[in-house]
Amino acid sequence: MRHGADRMVDAVSGAALLGFVVVFVVFLLAPILVVVAVAFSSLGYVAFPIPSLSLRWFVRVLTYEPFLDGLRVSAELAFASTALAALIGVPAALAIGRSSRPWAQGMAAFLLSPVSMPLIVLGYSLLFYLSVLGLGASFASLLIAHTVIGVPYLVRTVTGIYRSIPPDYEEASAILGAGRLASLFLVTLPLIRPGIFAGCLFAFLISFDNLPISYFFGSADASTLPVVMLSYMQSQFDPAIAAISTVQMVLAMIVLLVVERFYGLRRIGAPA
Amino acid sequence: MAQLHVGRRNLGALAGAASLLPMLGAGRIARAAEPITVTSFGGIFETTIREVIVADYEKHSGNKARVLTGSPEQWMAQIEANRAHPPIDVILNQVDTCLVAGRMGLVEKFTVEKLPNLADIPQQLSDMLQGWGMVFTFGSWGFAYHERLKEPPRSFVELVDGTIKGKWRVALPNAGYTGTPQVLIWSLAEALGGSVTNVDPAFDAIKKMKPNVAFFASITDPLTLLESGEADISLYPDGRTWAAFDGGAKWLRYINPKEGGVNLPAIVQKVKNGSDLAWDYINTMLAPGPQSEVVKRLNYETSNPKAVLPPELRARITPWQQCRFAPAEAVAAAKAGWIERWNKEINA
Repeated sequence: MRHGADRMVDAVSGAALLGFVVVFVVFLLAPILVVVAVAFSSLGYVAFPIPSLSLRWFVRVLTYEPFLDGLRVSAELAFASTALAALIGVPAALAIGRSSRPWAQGMAAFLLSPVSMPLIVLGYSLLFYLSVLGLGASFASLLIAHTVIGVPYLVRTVTGIYRSIPPDYEEASAILGAGRLASLFLVTLPLIRPGIFAGCLFAFLISFDNLPISYFFGSADASTLPVVMLSYMQSQFDPAIAAISTVQMVLAMIVLLVVERFYGLRRIGAPA
Repeated sequence: MAQLHVGRRNLGALAGAASLLPMLGAGRIARAAEPITVTSFGGIFETTIREVIVADYEKHSGNKARVLTGSPEQWMAQIEANRAHPPIDVILNQVDTCLVAGRMGLVEKFTVEKLPNLADIPQQLSDMLQGWGMVFTFGSWGFAYHERLKEPPRSFVELVDGTIKGKWRVALPNAGYTGTPQVLIWSLAEALGGSVTNVDPAFDAIKKMKPNVAFFASITDPLTLLESGEADISLYPDGRTWAAFDGGAKWLRYINPKEGGVNLPAIVQKVKNGSDLAWDYINTMLAPGPQSEVVKRLNYETSNPKAVLPPELRARITPWQQCRFAPAEAVAAAKAGWIERWNKEINA
């Protein structure tokens, strides 16, 4: 009788897993594979299946200047805004992580608020605000706006890790004579490193793919890749869009592989 | 161009100064002579603007022009946010938003004194835009269809009738597409005996056609729908149809319907408080020489009748005189109500 119940549970689990895999493949993996396949099409317009293989659209990507400029701007922006978000988010998370003062919860909610607001509203508002400050549509504005949306990810992940670590380590460090800075650099930061890494990874990827914020700040000097891609698609739809999307996906995968190689994806977000 | 430009290289210096900007009135910093900033849609449009118009302008004027790709809504928001020192000097626009930009005081009126090439262009086009800009290129929305459709409709009346009878499946833009109020709702209403103030015939026709309609939200979808067989015929612009044909879609055909396709032109406007050097750039856009080259590259007709069309293009391009122009101001005023009605009646 017991064996029968176990077999039933195994069968249901197996069927559920199979169902999950099918849904994953059909709705997540297949569309991505179609985009990659179309990037290698020899046709001058988007069609699937493709009649024959060609690299012409990757050549187009390499020769269409706005794509390359947009890719460079997006990468620079993602790195710079992630670094700034970490500089702001990590100290903020440490300040509110163990604080029992009444303002701490309010401040935590405030720092997380950018992700609770439609990004297109945030972008529109920031455009007018930063224009009043004289920054207007520029790389500096893009950097400020992307930092604003990156900070919540740093604050959330670092606060979570920091609260899960007992205060004993910092207290022991103080009892053994370490100053506040020494405790911070030798004890606290190494312990919360997985949270910083996770937050930085989220902030980087959110910035790299962002459209609704970047849309308002494109300038002749600095337009991000998603904005350039949108404009391209609105007036022309050939497989170059699939090719640049493939390049963008490969770059995101390289970031994840580098993280895996040097840090380990499984360690991200887990207490050190 | 008076916008404070901040490059990535001087970002470090900027970071230190950022907190002082409001006090210093940074928006007023350095109105030094700078290149003008012009706009373009992406893709081949951008390449054409850069290689034809900007190249010609820079050659004869000695000034520089920088190209910003994007869309009219994005550019208008950037200008509105910084009216006194706009970051853009020349924008490309659509008819309805062109008039909105004029009413909002974001752009300047065109005159022959400022733009000598305006004298060659039919007055009707200037009147249509109330002087707030000028047509750069025309795109006519007619019928693009797959060659497997042996007897395509020749008019909107035939299109509606055949679709209701199930002779073919048609791809139509949905309420989410920006041109839908003009190219579908007004166009059908006008062709079926209604008007801009009476669009009941259009909504009735769409409701009846709905079982045989594949709606699309993006201009990129119709070719896929036609090739996959989900649709046999689609509302689509002539220039895009021929570009796709040249790109390998040899099964594609195009008809300008009897009533006339709906023309959705790209309009150039001069931004108020932008650099006066922009007038010379716009005059270049309207000159017959550059426009002749633009026609060849984009497959779209241009506004200056002195522009030379190669014979093979003349056969393809629908002259704007054979098109219909939606009453832009009335459509702009009515379209919010139409979209609401669409959501209630068509999406229901």
